[in-house]
This record gives sequence, C-alpha cells and structure tokens, in this order.
Amino acid sequence: MPGRLRKVSPLKKPDRAYYALGLEGSANKLGAGVIKHDADGSSVVLSNIRHTHMTPPGEGFLPRETAQHHRQWALTVIEDAVKQAGISMHDIDCICYTKGPGMGAPLVSVALVARTLSLLYDKPLVGVNHCVGHIEMGRVVTGAQNPVVLYVSGGNSQVIAYSKQRYRIFGETLDIAVGNCLDRFARVINLSNDPFPGYNIEQEAKKGKRLLPLPYTTKGMDVSLSGILTAAEAYTQDKRYRPDAQSTLDEDIITPADLCFSLQETVFAMLVEITERAMAHIGSREVLIVGGVGSNERLQQMMGIMASERGGKVFATDERFCIDNGIMIAQAGLLSFRMGLTTPISKSTCTQRFRTDEVYVAWRA
Amino acid sequence: MSNSHSDWHIVTVRVPFASARHTAIAKQVIEVDRELQPHAVKRSLIVEDDILVATFTTLTVRLARLTVNAFLENVELVVRTIGQFGEDAERVPS
Repeated sequence: MPGRLRKVSPLKKPDRAYYALGLEGSANKLGAGVIKHDADGSSVVLSNIRHTHMTPPGEGFLPRETAQHHRQWALTVIEDAVKQAGISMHDIDCICYTKGPGMGAPLVSVALVARTLSLLYDKPLVGVNHCVGHIEMGRVVTGAQNPVVLYVSGGNSQVIAYSKQRYRIFGETLDIAVGNCLDRFARVINLSNDPFPGYNIEQEAKKGKRLLPLPYTTKGMDVSLSGILTAAEAYTQDKRYRPDAQSTLDEDIITPADLCFSLQETVFAMLVEITERAMAHIGSREVLIVGGVGSNERLQQMMGIMASERGGKVFATDERFCIDNGIMIAQAGLLSFRMGLTTPISKSTCTQRFRTDEVYVAWRA
Repeated sequence: MSNSHSDWHIVTVRVPFASARHTAIAKQVIEVDRELQPHAVKRSLIVEDDILVATFTTLTVRLARLTVNAFLENVELVVRTIGQFGEDAERVPS
C-alpha cells in the first residue's frame, strides 16, 4: 500500500523579503496596508490604515458619494500606510488593488490611484479578488490549515472550501448578503451606522428578551434572506411594536431589541446549518469565519457550539482584519505575485461581479 | 436613426501636465476603463506634448454632462496622485 503523498506547497520560500501595498475600496471602507513576506516565509503586517464613509442613521451608502469619499481619502490613507510601514514606495514589489466584486465607481476610484502609482514607480499591478483577500488574511492570521470558510459581509455570504487550486463555493445566499440584511434592518429602526450598523444590532440584541417567529429559510446548501428582512420589517408595523420601550416579557410588546435578537438568532442559526452541512460533506473540523459579519461575537459563539459538537473549532479574526481592509488585498496579491501572476495595466479593470472560484489559487497545493 | 454623429454633441477638454511623461501616464491610467454606454458615448484620448486632449462625442446633452463630469473627477484624482507622489517617484532610491 503506497504511503499517503504529502502535498508540497508550490510556493517556495522567498529568497529575500518581499513587500506589497494593498488598496481596498469595494464598499464604503477605504483601506491601504503594507505586508512583508520575510525570508523565513512568515507574513508580517507592517501597516493597516482604513477610513470609512459613514452615513447618518436611517441611510445607506450609495455609489456616487462612496466613490467621492474614496477619491478624497485615498492619497492620505496610502501615504500614512507607507509611512507607518517605515519603508519607501520604492521598496514595494507590487501594488495590489481590489479588482472586484463590489460597487463599480468606488472600485474604479481606487484602481485609478493604483494604476497611477504603478506607472510612476514602475511597479507591477496585481488585481485581487476581494473574497480571496478575506480568505487569505484569515488563513495567515489564524493559522487554520484547511477550514470550511464562512465568508459573511455586507456584500457577500458564501460557504467556501478549498480544493485543487480553487476556492469552491459550497453554499451561498440566493438573494441578499447577511450583512446587507442586518444593515437594512438597522436603517428601519434608525440605529447609528457608527462604527458599523451590525455592531449596533449586536449590542441592541443583547437587550432583547423575546424570540419572535421569523421565516427560517435554508435551501439545501444555500440560504435566502430577503424574506426574513421583510418579515422583520413587518413587525415594526405590528400593533404590539413599541419603538422606544425596554424589552420585557411582562407586557405583550415588541421592541427593537427583541427584533434585533430574533433576527440575529434566526439568521445565524441558518448560517451555522449550511456551514455544518459543508463540514459534513468534506469531513472538515475547522471553521474560519471572515468578512465584516464575522466580528459578531454571537455568531462566533453559535458556530463554536456547533463545531465543538463535531470535535472541531472555530477560527475568527478581529475587526482589523475581518472588516474590509487593504492588508488582505496586499496578502492575497503578494501570494499571486510570488507565483508569477501580475495584471498588465491595460487589463487592470474592475468588475462588480467576480466569483470566488474564478481565481486560480496557484500558491496552494 | 442617423449613424453619422453629425447631430451628436462634442466636448473637448485639454488638461496640461508638468511633463510629457505625466501626460502619457494619465492617458494610460484613464483609457483602461470602458465608457459605460459605448453606443452613445465615443471617447478619444490623445497626448499632445504635455497636454492630454480628451474629446467626447455623445448622443445627448445629458450624456455629455455625465461623461465630462466623470472624466474630470477621474483626471482630478490622477493629477492629485501625481502631485503627491510624483516627486518621490522621481527620486532615485538609495
């Protein structure tokens, strides 16, 4: 019986230290970061700067104003990132930018700066898939070996597992992303968008006492969320709804806290179910949660309960890395660059739709 | 429906730069993205020494406004980027 072949990573140890600048702007966060791949193969975060386009309570962010915000802040954030890294732009090996998916005008605003810097300093460009950026940053920060990845943010909700040079999508939302569902509900109950609406929903949910019935919609490996959002919004028109009251079980009332609590419990349970299904399918014991919604501690807790029942564990990163940032783009970009993949400037476009499994993951066995 | 663009609207914008190299950079950066409505908006980007000459031929006045506005927003960003990093880029690394 032949011995089990151990896969050798195609990514060779670097002959010297490599530096990459990563630029991210697919949603309302504008981020720039510098990463270093040391000669011993380790990844070091040298800087991670971010500025968020914040809207008043009750309002979401729109492409035009978001692009305007990115144009206004890009140069400052990039300058700060390079300065804090303690290097010069001349030391950078490649300039990585988010090619997609995301919002069109904001993506292009960042790409324009990336191209200009690339031509000024004569550095190659690397277009990066936003989702792959999240995954690679999660892997390097947590050290998870081969986890099932739950990527949940305002724009994306996917269950991903790696196989043969692709990040394969096992399950996903059939309509809106989890973060989008939470953000839009936050607008209906007029929660602040500072620091981000999901955080305020999480805090509000802690005060909830009543679990209201909401449609639980997993569809095989996938989930559907637009129906739950409508149902949650409908409760605010219910005659029992009291927008300013404290949650209590003594009176038959519904408060915003109750709705936040019910929405989180239902939606997160659905995510745990489809993640568990993927884990069972491939026999994995690790879950890596990435994306802005991954910073929610209740989701991490619920996932942890499921994982430990299966003898596994959950990996998650903190807000520096799970919320959109430039360093994750630098990390994924530098891995591509070290495998010889760059983006010629004439092809350095942006695209609003960019499937995670379209990327050829050359750097993994 | 006339195909000859003779009744279309034409706007020409001339943007001067500090050097021919900077002008060429700006052209290369901006020409990458396709116009969103290529059937109703035609764009030409030409470098004349150190001036970037952009000509937009559009089907409607509204499209002329939107296209030129977007172009100016983008050019302004490229100009600011060159302004902030241009000098450092020219510095020979020690």
